Amino acid sequence: MKSRDVFSYSFSAIKLRKLRAGLTTLGVVIGIAAIVALLSITQGLQDTITRQLQTGFATDTLIVSAGGGFGAGIGGRTGADSGFRLLINYTQMINGLSPNITTSIAIIQRAGFIKSGNITRVTIIVGVDFAEYSDIYSSTFVNETGNIPLIPTNETVVVGKLVSDPWKNETLFCSADDDVEIKWTNATVIPAKNETYTGHVAAVLKEIGGFGVGPSDSSVYIPISKAESFFGTDECNMIIVKLKNDDKATIDSVSKAIKEAFSNEVSVTSATAVLNILSSVFSVIELFLGGIAAISLLVAGIGIMNIMIVSLMERTREIGILKALGMKSRTVLLVFLSESVIIGLLGAAIGIGSGWVLANIVAIVFRGGGLLMGNQGAGAGAGGAGGIAITPVLTPTVFLGALAFGVGVSIIFALYPAWRASKLKPVEALRYE
Amino acid sequence: MPTIVQTINLKKTYMLGKVPVEALRGVNLKVESGDFLAVLGPSGSGKSTLLNLIGALDKPTEGKMLIEGVDVSTLNDNQLADLRRRVGFVFQFFNLIPRFTARENVELSMSIADMSRAERRKQAEDVLETVGLKERMNHKPAELSGGEQQRVAIARALANTPRFLLMDEPTGNIDSKNANEIIGLIKRLNEEKGVTIIMVTHDQHLAAQTKRTVQMFDGVITGEIVN
Repeated sequence: MKSRDVFSYSFSAIKLRKLRAGLTTLGVVIGIAAIVALLSITQGLQDTITRQLQTGFATDTLIVSAGGGFGAGIGGRTGADSGFRLLINYTQMINGLSPNITTSIAIIQRAGFIKSGNITRVTIIVGVDFAEYSDIYSSTFVNETGNIPLIPTNETVVVGKLVSDPWKNETLFCSADDDVEIKWTNATVIPAKNETYTGHVAAVLKEIGGFGVGPSDSSVYIPISKAESFFGTDECNMIIVKLKNDDKATIDSVSKAIKEAFSNEVSVTSATAVLNILSSVFSVIELFLGGIAAISLLVAGIGIMNIMIVSLMERTREIGILKALGMKSRTVLLVFLSESVIIGLLGAAIGIGSGWVLANIVAIVFRGGGLLMGNQGAGAGAGGAGGIAITPVLTPTVFLGALAFGVGVSIIFALYPAWRASKLKPVEALRYE
Repeated sequence: MPTIVQTINLKKTYMLGKVPVEALRGVNLKVESGDFLAVLGPSGSGKSTLLNLIGALDKPTEGKMLIEGVDVSTLNDNQLADLRRRVGFVFQFFNLIPRFTARENVELSMSIADMSRAERRKQAEDVLETVGLKERMNHKPAELSGGEQQRVAIARALANTPRFLLMDEPTGNIDSKNANEIIGLIKRLNEEKGVTIIMVTHDQHLAAQTKRTVQMFDGVITGEIVN
């Protein structure tokens, strides 16, 4: 029997039981749609986060933090268990470590409050050297209104876009030239003490959108010297080291030199390393979500098997007729497998389409609701983005993989009923009532 | 005339649970080209078993089943399937595929034999014309009478130009008026087109219409009459 005739025969059998075939196909549609939706959203999220990280996290910089690594630095905690303290004036020593280092700056950051008028908002107060910080983050530490003074006064304050315009409407919380109250609670003394001073907003930053170690939309920037006195410390949370280039060799050699200089009491993290970690984390997430979705497809596969076995029993006599007319066992097997291929293909095609639509609906819902990530800032530099716009990504791998998986599962679960059909003896099949 | 079918001491034993049942107990039969043979016997005499063996639907337990000189028991599954394409089967209960029209049912046997679409379409129309059903070829079995359904089954059996036709109680499930028409058609096929026919029946009146009748009882041939 020619393959076109096999397919046409199988299709006629499916058409006869439209509702049953439809429900079986629906099982495949749901499984594939779940896989496609979850994977394309995850892929979209990964792309978005990576892009935003690249925006807010210059690739030619290294982050030096005390002991416990990047997490400790970001978390706003200073010092390691060993008692090592990362001091602000270590920047001079770091600058002399390698000719590949352009400059380095210390950053002090604390969770605090900013008050304008009668409203007080939670923020992250970041102490930086304005001149060097603008140099390192020349594309993100940029004023939208006002001016960022390179030699600031003690009262100078630069605020992120979200601090100035937190509600994203016409009402501004504060703007350039406003006086604001900066406050933090010193919990290192007993009893805890509120420290306050009045600052002057010199500039509002342009919207950055990204999040990383660099400037953030939801932070407030004050001069490093003021931060030292205000927070009462000579210790910093991290030192950002700017390199001459972002070659792997440069990153590795400078990282090694810094670690050795501090007898391995510091962690040195590069943007590239963070991106790599993120990428592997997302791979695990994709595998996990894909695995969950695949379970629903397996359930659909069992549904296919069930339907095929019922169909086999109903059509035993028909198989007997086909064999009496000279159909070979192999062709009977192909007839049954073709039915499952048609169901699998149809289910996978509709599933990919529905999954894609579902992913876009989820993305729109997230966009509308604002996916809040780290707004309260687990750490200053990393805190920031108000909402993330995810654009689902359907890669060719996911597309073809879903198609192959849908058809593959359908075939695998149809193998047993098809094999049983092919093994029927014509005499017995013809006698079957 | 060349011998088309020959059985030599043909035996078939079934297991009914754990009890062996001897359906055929040594059948010797010879059918020549152009023959029209009736196998007459009561229910349980083994006539349908014999027909299934001749049609390569089953294999004998003992003895030889030769079709055009080839011993069926030496053939594998694929070769048996090939052999069945050269045999035309007509069943008591028609065994048409309900979702297909008369023409599609006839075409099915040709599509199994790998015939091209255009070729089988023409052949289907020709054989349906032979059985007098060309006008109703686009009807499904449910829209046809028993007699018409049996004609479709005969047309399907003729479609691949078989070496011989095997008929299992071809009028057993249709009314007498239609039965007479079917008998007339079968006789014409044999007399005018020279089709070799082996027909199983328990109806003596039907058997009397053939050229030769062998009587079966209890798994053996008990007599032969030339009509």
